Amino acid sequence: MAKRVLMRGNEVIAEAAIRAGCQCYFAYPITPQAELLEHMARNMPRLGRTFVQAESEVAAISMVHGASAAGVRTMTSSSSPGISLKMEGISYLAGSSLPAVIVNVVRGGPGLGNIAPAQCDYFQATKGGGHGDYHMIVLAPSTVPEAGELTMLAFELADRYRTPVMILADGMLGQMMEPVLLPDPVDPAALPAKPWAATGAKGREPNIILSFDLDPEGLRRMNLELQARYRTIREKEVRHEETETEDAEIVIAAHGTVARIAKSVVRMARAEGIRLGLFRPITVWPFPYEPLRALSSRVETVLTVEMSAGQMWEDVRLAVAERAKTPFYGELGGVVPTPKGILREVKRHVG
Amino acid sequence: MEPETYRNEVENQWCPGCTNFGILAAVRKALAALDLAPHEVCLVSGIGQAAKLPHYVRSNVFNGLHGRAIPAATGIKVANPALTVLVTTGDGDGYGEGGNHLLHALRRNPDITVVVHNNELYALTKGQGSPTTPVGEKTRLQFTGVEIEPIEILATAIVHGCGFVARGYAGEIDHLSDLLVQAIRHRGLSLVDVVQPCVTWGERPPAWYRERIEKLPADHDPRDRAAALGLAASQRERIPIGILYEGPPRLVFADRHLKRTSGRALASLEPVKEDEITSRLARFRR
Ligand SMILES: Cc1ncc(C[n+]2csc(CCOP(=O)(O)OP(=O)(O)O)c2C)c(N)n1
Ligand code: SF4
Repeated sequence: MAKRVLMRGNEVIAEAAIRAGCQCYFAYPITPQAELLEHMARNMPRLGRTFVQAESEVAAISMVHGASAAGVRTMTSSSSPGISLKMEGISYLAGSSLPAVIVNVVRGGPGLGNIAPAQCDYFQATKGGGHGDYHMIVLAPSTVPEAGELTMLAFELADRYRTPVMILADGMLGQMMEPVLLPDPVDPAALPAKPWAATGAKGREPNIILSFDLDPEGLRRMNLELQARYRTIREKEVRHEETETEDAEIVIAAHGTVARIAKSVVRMARAEGIRLGLFRPITVWPFPYEPLRALSSRVETVLTVEMSAGQMWEDVRLAVAERAKTPFYGELGGVVPTPKGILREVKRHVG
Repeated sequence: MEPETYRNEVENQWCPGCTNFGILAAVRKALAALDLAPHEVCLVSGIGQAAKLPHYVRSNVFNGLHGRAIPAATGIKVANPALTVLVTTGDGDGYGEGGNHLLHALRRNPDITVVVHNNELYALTKGQGSPTTPVGEKTRLQFTGVEIEPIEILATAIVHGCGFVARGYAGEIDHLSDLLVQAIRHRGLSLVDVVQPCVTWGERPPAWYRERIEKLPADHDPRDRAAALGLAASQRERIPIGILYEGPPRLVFADRHLKRTSGRALASLEPVKEDEITSRLARFRR
């Protein structure tokens, strides 16, 4: 039987990427995701795979662009300011229908901000970030083991839908250590073929990978094709988790690290007789609008808690509309909300 | 002016014994020797240990994005040509993330001085290899040693005809401050690469560098391009310090720019008077 090992979030993401068959990893150092680079630097060469410390984040995402076009599973990781630099490349990946995995271990912003955990890159991740009408699938793990599972999933989804997929983590998740059961490794050679990849045109028509069409009619068709794919993703890939929502009068909507903290708040509130539940989006794009809409007609209040000024809150309000009250509690600048602080907010909105 | 003029009360974040303190002393000394008042100087940096230097100098300071100090300095100089503009950057910040900007500054030739604290690694992010780490050196990330060649920036600057190319040593404060005085006096881009051993993450102690540092012979002619190129190459046996190269005079970016625009600087060292601001703002009110 596989055994549990104690690992840091950053290391688990790196190890899961390796086990998912990531052949090429490119990155530039930035805190708080240094351990991710270190794990890759230690292990990729040993497996005959590629680790490159690039000269900048722009170089790293462009290396991903190249490796993805060449048909291999590839990943880059960074933290907020570095992710901003990758945005142009991500837009090109999306426009070219190229799979890739991008990890953002979010830190406090804007600008240089600080290296403390934050969720302030939600808009950037879920609403575009780069230019053009595109989306990435964005997965928001809330525990270390889940960070590993979602990284494995990210590679599957990226290939299945030929799209960039982002793991939206934060400094706390990256640094925290938890016991994890590592998944079985995927054999890169056994992965489904990528007939679209630029692998050499001997004996077949050349594959052309583009993110442009100068003819507006052609670009329109390209965009419509992307939108059709996004519709499929919205239909099939929405993931969320509900905790104690069956009889809830109030629910917290939270993702990532905050959702993990909110889970203990649910226990604390229940002990005091408050019927509190938790709604946790796992995919923040596509956002679980439908399940939240359904839930919101059964509860009085959906309290959004975030380490931001209210970014996911916009999606929550879109889903809930007028069916329930939608207050917000956020902490900014790398401050992590405490269970007590969240419980206090919950109490303000019940009874 | 005294070096003390540039001292401020900001708490220093560098490790005890860091050789950056030597560069800081040399910068203060050079500014004093040039008799520049704090308001006449602007120190510009990106992110890194080196990029913290401006925090510790009483002067105008611009601390911006990782790798982008040179474009920011170019903007500052073109807006206010009266300012003496100094960039302090690291080998990661200046040669890696911002390497492209340095290459184009060599073409553009703004009148700024670029001081590179070359500790041969990324110190602030805790010791990864940088564009100047020697081949074979083991680092926190290059466990089996760096495989790719270090960048030859000084040689590149010489090939580009840069007007002032020098190498200094953080442990030779007087020599370094002398280099900085001349670099600042030079009109056009000056590049000063400073050997700056990192006592926390570096493979070798300052003593290792100390033994290899040697001042350029008195008969070195900085206009001799071939000789300069020979001295510029990074090598481990001996590390020559001094003015390696002085390129032929070239048009300075701000001059060219001013000639093409109104001929008047956008900003000056004169403080804007309060009533002037009020009357300007009044124009936007209804
Ligand atoms: C866009 C971006 N990427 C990465 C970082 C993380 N980072 C901060 S300083 C630094 C490099 C520092 O190395 P160097 O310029 O050599 O200066 P030193 O600390 O060695 O003096 C890096 C990669 C950042 N702040 N912003
Ligand atoms: S890490 Fe190295 S360069 Fe940075 S302050 Fe410490 S000794 Fe100096």
